[in-house]
Amino acid sequence: MQQVTLTVNGREVTAEIDERTLLLEFVREVAGFTGAHNGCLEARCGCCAIEVDGEITKSCNVLAVQVDGAEVTTVEGLAPQRLAPVEHVTTQSLAGMYAPLEAVRTRAEDLHPLQEAFHRCHALQCGFCTPGMLMVLKGHLEENPEPTRDGVRHAIAGNLCRCTGYQHIVDAAMEAAEVMRGDAPVPADG
Amino acid sequence: MTEAPPRTAGPGPAATGPRLVGTSVPRKEDLALLTGTARFIDDIRLPGMVHATILRSTVAHARVRSIDTAPARAVPGVLDVLAGAELVGKVKPWGDLMQDLLVGDHFPFATDKVLYEGQELAAVVAGTRYQALDGCEAVAVDLEELPAVVDPEQALRPDAPLVQERIVYEFGEGNVFDRYRVRVGDFAAAERDAAVVVRQRFTTNKQAGAALDPHGCVASHDPFTGVLTLWSSTQSVYMVRDVLADVLQIPRTKVRVMVPEVGAGFGSKAQMFGHEVIAALFSMRLGRPVKLVLRRDEIFRAGTTRNSQVRYAELAMAADGEITGYRDYVVHNTGAMSVWGNQVVHIGTNVGMLPYPIPNVHVDSDIVHTTTAPGGPLRGFGIPQTVWAKEQLVDMAARELGLDPLAVRERNVVDPATFPYRTPMGQVIDSTSIKQCLTACAEAIDWAAKRAAPVPHEGLGLAVSMKYTSCRHPSLDTDLSAVRLRLETDGTVTIYSSDVSHGQSHATMLSQIVADGLGVGIEKVTLAPPDSMTAPFGLGTYASRGAAVLGTACRLATERLRDKVLAIAAHVLEVGPGDLDTGNDRVFVKGLPDSGIYLEILAATAAYRTHQLPPDFEPTLETVATYDTPTEREASDGSGNLSVTYSGAAHAAHVRVDPETGRVTVVDYAMVHDTGTVINPLVVEGQHQGGFLMGMGMALSEDYVYDENGHQLNASFKDYLAVTAPEVPELTRMSEIPAPSTTIPGGQKGAGESGTGPVPAAIGNAVLDATGIRFTALPITPQRMLTALREKERRGVETLRYPDDMPDFTGPRCPDEWPSPTAAEADDFDFDFDFDLDPEEGA
Repeated sequence: MQQVTLTVNGREVTAEIDERTLLLEFVREVAGFTGAHNGCLEARCGCCAIEVDGEITKSCNVLAVQVDGAEVTTVEGLAPQRLAPVEHVTTQSLAGMYAPLEAVRTRAEDLHPLQEAFHRCHALQCGFCTPGMLMVLKGHLEENPEPTRDGVRHAIAGNLCRCTGYQHIVDAAMEAAEVMRGDAPVPADG
Repeated sequence: MTEAPPRTAGPGPAATGPRLVGTSVPRKEDLALLTGTARFIDDIRLPGMVHATILRSTVAHARVRSIDTAPARAVPGVLDVLAGAELVGKVKPWGDLMQDLLVGDHFPFATDKVLYEGQELAAVVAGTRYQALDGCEAVAVDLEELPAVVDPEQALRPDAPLVQERIVYEFGEGNVFDRYRVRVGDFAAAERDAAVVVRQRFTTNKQAGAALDPHGCVASHDPFTGVLTLWSSTQSVYMVRDVLADVLQIPRTKVRVMVPEVGAGFGSKAQMFGHEVIAALFSMRLGRPVKLVLRRDEIFRAGTTRNSQVRYAELAMAADGEITGYRDYVVHNTGAMSVWGNQVVHIGTNVGMLPYPIPNVHVDSDIVHTTTAPGGPLRGFGIPQTVWAKEQLVDMAARELGLDPLAVRERNVVDPATFPYRTPMGQVIDSTSIKQCLTACAEAIDWAAKRAAPVPHEGLGLAVSMKYTSCRHPSLDTDLSAVRLRLETDGTVTIYSSDVSHGQSHATMLSQIVADGLGVGIEKVTLAPPDSMTAPFGLGTYASRGAAVLGTACRLATERLRDKVLAIAAHVLEVGPGDLDTGNDRVFVKGLPDSGIYLEILAATAAYRTHQLPPDFEPTLETVATYDTPTEREASDGSGNLSVTYSGAAHAAHVRVDPETGRVTVVDYAMVHDTGTVINPLVVEGQHQGGFLMGMGMALSEDYVYDENGHQLNASFKDYLAVTAPEVPELTRMSEIPAPSTTIPGGQKGAGESGTGPVPAAIGNAVLDATGIRFTALPITPQRMLTALREKERRGVETLRYPDDMPDFTGPRCPDEWPSPTAAEADDFDFDFDFDLDPEEGA
């Protein structure tokens, strides 16, 4: 057993752990952030991708003891300011004021541009690969503010998605890049 | 590019507010999935929960001498250990229901014999997963290895190792689990009168669903109430509940199955598995919650796979291009055991004949056991396999007759003067636009112009298919789904369903139907998580049945709910129900959409002010509807209308073959579909793109590679080449030509699998166009391509069938008469570990 301290999404977490504990397991089971997923445990599917000291990392391929002291961001840290949308649907006076689509649209200002674009472009189906995709694309777009579609495809070559055929994921990354550059206003509609 | 579908009459036209069916409403599912708050099976933790791990066989075929679990019990942290011997007579085998067997052939562990690599031998539960793994290592296993049989044709030989020893099938001793036949029309006459009969032996691969979210469950048994609660990553709540209760011989009411988020399935989670029984048994023995989530290599080896096939296929064509007959002998590899495997060849063959109304069809199939991973459903359910053979034969016949493959298909696709039209095979086509889809697809790929100006190493290929929407399986005479709706007392609506959404967007799709039908805002509609304790009985989410079957149940329940709401409003307003309409969360007098009574008032009245209700009105606003499709059982000649309606798919591939590396690149791909009335166009587009991906994997890279001992060499994403983003072409040449179903009240057709069916054949036809090589085996790997190119050059021929070039093949009648392949050593099925598709892959 060994003591390890990590800062996960801004919260310092210290624990005595089995040396075999993977970083992914530390994040999920010790720190309690289950957004990073275990899809293969051999660094192939990319579902476990998180940010470790600024580097996008497949957390199933790293022991927690190897990164003692690191600062870690998971998908839960992408939109830290987000509050659960409050829907007033119970009073007669307010009920009529809601346009039908108003409340299902997630609020753009709360989400990372990539999350918003994934939602708008239907870039996720079952959603299991999504946290890893978001983290890898975050890293790619921060390094490549003007990405190409081909570049995006290669950036996520280490992330598998079995549902979408990747098309809408690439669409979403390109749209998010525009927003992140400030070229495009945050789209107002889905 | 998706065209807006025509609006059809819904339940109670909402006079105000936009109609949501037919629009790309952003998904209700997304927020939790995007932010990491969604809970998949491995995210579930219960107080006192312990961890189980399964010890699996590392050999494919062996007699069990002994399995000693005692050493594992001494390992620190280990709480309990199970193996097969102590369960015999206490746990009921399963697999009988779906396979129409008297006694099931599935058991939680191998007892006397191991039948495939990865089969369960023992299981250990411990305080932590690592302790459980340590415990598994301590189990002493003594196996006497037996010869494996990997090849389904070898499994048919009299001297083949016998896989299932204890079960005597209808066809006596041997590895033939079942036989299937189709006798429609008279193929011999068609053969006699044909201008050309083309024949070829085709083989297909064993593909994995490889849903990224692992199979797994958490079982929690309450020792006082006797209630077993099982959270499981499954596609079907009731198939798990009913089979598990039967296996454990406890009442259905004592088993509660709940389903968290499910990270896809593609058919691979459409049954109950051994790990669900094992976790349940441990929890019952310990009185503690037990988690058992499988590792990736376990899922590869012991999950279900696409059934591989060998097809001796023949197609008869008249001089004018009319397809007059199809004959096939299919050796269908269902693996060592399979709950669903034998159904795959039935439905895949019956529906796989579409979109051609072939008058003479003669098919025989031997469904055989091998010592390989269990076969099962996988996106397309046998249709991609059939289409791979049949659509290549269509091209072969067209070429022999000097006809354009496009023109031949246009001549043959089902295009009746009136609907409904019954094909010779028995399918009732209630509507279709497949001919228009085909023409549009050829235009989208620029068929005529590109063929007029061929580019070296590039080629075009077409393929068409029609895919079932729902299915009445031969051994399971049902095709139903159900929905219960409750208008809550604040005017919101809860939908209950047991058909698990695992990527299909049920929450959004069903809410669109309810919102339109009831005039309630979609933000007020919620889909309850699947739970056998509260959801109405339904079969589950598979067979592309969600939108059409579940959607129709939802529509019917909505109509019933609307009727009840109108009855209360009519009583309060003292008007007739026919004078009322719904919309904007209200019921109002027609023509006065700004007035009216809010649904929440009516709902509260129905629950809390019951004396204000109409006389004889049964209080509260809750309705249930079940929809069982008007499909038929398979007839003894193999014919029948097994599906409620049929979606159309016309695909065109443009490929480039690199003669240096052998790599096939899909440079462009066009897909035109008939999905009937589309509820959510963006969702349906995503289904088609994902369907294509799975078809592309089947065509070019994905396969189980076994050595001669039945050991899988690529049970890892490192070696199993799932398709990655850089390999996929831009999928923008997509459109819908909707021919709304006339059987389904809303006009929907299934979307989930039509993107997969034609893909391997379209790519195969394009590869022939590019190289002159007719590939007869899947997948078309770079290694096979290089071998084929060398062989073609060596022989100095223009065209070559590879690996099975069988010019003398005149049609098989029995295994002894099958011709031997004459091409280069068939094959190099070896796995090329050195080949790296993309240096950046797996970065």
